[in-house]
Amino acid sequence: MKALVFSDNQEIVAQILTSIRGKSDADAAVVSPVMESIDQYGAAKLYELTGTPGTDAISQSLSKIFAEGKYDLFLAGSTVRGREVAGMLSEALNLPAMTEISDLVFRDGKIVTKRFFYGGKTLLEEESSARVLTVMPGISEASRSQSRSELVKVELPASKITIVNRIDKMAGSVNIEKAQVIVSVGRGIGSKENIEKVKPLAEAVHGEIAGSRPVCLDYQWLSEDRQVGLSGKKVKPKLYIALGISGQIQHIAGMRTSRVVVAINKDKSAPIFEEADYGIVGDLFQIVPKLVSALKQ
Amino acid sequence: MPYNVIVLVKQIPDIDQMKTDPGTGEPILQNLPLRVENLSKNAIEAAVKLKEKHGGKVSAIIFGTDRSSAAMKESYAMGVDEGFLLTGYDGNHPEVTAKVLAEKIKTIPHDLVILGNQSADSYTGLLAGKISALTGEPLLGNAVRIEMDGKTAKVTSALEEYNLEIKSDTPAIISVAQEINEPRLPPVLQIMAAGRKPINTQPAGPKEKFTSVVISNRAPKSDRKRIVFEDVDKGVSEVSKAIKEAIR
Ligand SMILES: Cc1cc2nc3c(=O)[nH]c(=O)nc-3n(C[C@H](O)[C@H](O)[C@H](O)COP(=O)(O)OP(=O)(O)OC[C@H]3O[C@@H](n4cnc5c(N)ncnc54)[C@H](O)[C@@H]3O)c2cc1C
Repeated sequence: MKALVFSDNQEIVAQILTSIRGKSDADAAVVSPVMESIDQYGAAKLYELTGTPGTDAISQSLSKIFAEGKYDLFLAGSTVRGREVAGMLSEALNLPAMTEISDLVFRDGKIVTKRFFYGGKTLLEEESSARVLTVMPGISEASRSQSRSELVKVELPASKITIVNRIDKMAGSVNIEKAQVIVSVGRGIGSKENIEKVKPLAEAVHGEIAGSRPVCLDYQWLSEDRQVGLSGKKVKPKLYIALGISGQIQHIAGMRTSRVVVAINKDKSAPIFEEADYGIVGDLFQIVPKLVSALKQ
Repeated sequence: MPYNVIVLVKQIPDIDQMKTDPGTGEPILQNLPLRVENLSKNAIEAAVKLKEKHGGKVSAIIFGTDRSSAAMKESYAMGVDEGFLLTGYDGNHPEVTAKVLAEKIKTIPHDLVILGNQSADSYTGLLAGKISALTGEPLLGNAVRIEMDGKTAKVTSALEEYNLEIKSDTPAIISVAQEINEPRLPPVLQIMAAGRKPINTQPAGPKEKFTSVVISNRAPKSDRKRIVFEDVDKGVSEVSKAIKEAIR
């Protein structure tokens, strides 16, 4: 097997390269500028795409590299742009695609993948002859290899898309995907101001604050980069504390691989208790201060 | 200037109501009602808003089965003017749907094609890129805002780390994110009128076969301890110990 790995997020490139090391030869393509040390994750060649990074231009360029380099597999990190490029390239080269995979095994020329289905309610394991794959962030913990990649600069062709302006998101710029401890709040927190009331708990456990989709997206009580779930970040801390989160499947999809899960919810039948190691039924505003003083003892 | 907008609508099983078999963990799909996919509603809303602002016409395409006429009626009630129902496929693989949809798109004069950026059931997110490649029209992806100026479409595209304002000439493909709008709940009168409106139905066999062998499709196993305290003080004392252990 020979794979071409692409993502507009170079950390994901490093994760994918790590996950296939020893199983497949690999080259990688990234959008300029290159991240420091990205040439140390096992790609033989590292293509640095320069010019205006419209997805049409990226797809054309990678289609050409893929065909000329006689690759078997295209692995794209599943980001907004990664999915767009994967869709375009799969049609341009007429290659079957498989998406959002969280696990990849090679078996007799076929590939066996896992992905969540039905909104995260099931895990679908399939064998297919797919050649274009979108890979969920976090497929492996990136680690460096011995070899260094050969850097090849590639000028992107003209794009039909013009980039007008970049707008930075309101963010405390955290990366909750890397957090070891997360204190996550749901709609049960009630207001933006109330988040202050759970901060002492986050401090006591040295955790980052995260939230469910309503909290981050609908009400904007937290910035969007703190959203955990199917359409947010996938996290895997040592400890995940869910406060006032009901535990809908789309939320669980983002925190399922946490090591220990603690839930506090006033509703005894909330589904979050099914996904928790430890739970306390009751009002979070009453329980959190008690927990903080118990932790300080 | 008025715009002709095609909106791609997907019908899915109501996954919120879907349960998995407690024994085998497999999905129970029998008798599951169908519904218009969440982001398709955002796509319809975005198209209808453009019509309300600039004039023009909204056409919807659904690739599904005879059972999809309900989804088309719902689209009509939300303001779609004309509907094409392509029947003959009850799956949801973009390998299959993209080619059929692109062929139909090419027969309808349009300035924009609007669709959801991912769908709530399978979450593949590939269709927009595929349609763009097949039609040769640029993709303005994951839009949270659309602005039209003559023959130029400008969108705010939401990426993971930041947003980008991007633009292109029309015709263009726009995929929308959930944040772009709040889909309307149509009034009863409009729902009744929609029921009487004709739907252009034509069979369209899948052009492409995509085969994957399902090894298993089950609810993921959860090995959680599920130790739940209803006595708060006991809970606090036990759970604080567990927390200290977990972060050691
Ligand atoms: C396509 C799609 C993608 C989605 N992606 C995501 C995603 O990425 N992430 C995500 O989180 N959701 C996602 N959702 C939304 C998801 O379905 C749920 O709506 C959401 O997770 C619910 O958030 P919540 O638990 O905060 O709110 P709710 O479901 O409203 O739960 C609030 C909980 O707080 C409890 N509560 C209230 N007051 C208190 C109190 N004082 N003390 C203790 N407990 C209290 C209540 O008992 C309740 O259980 C997605 C949905 C769709 C359709």
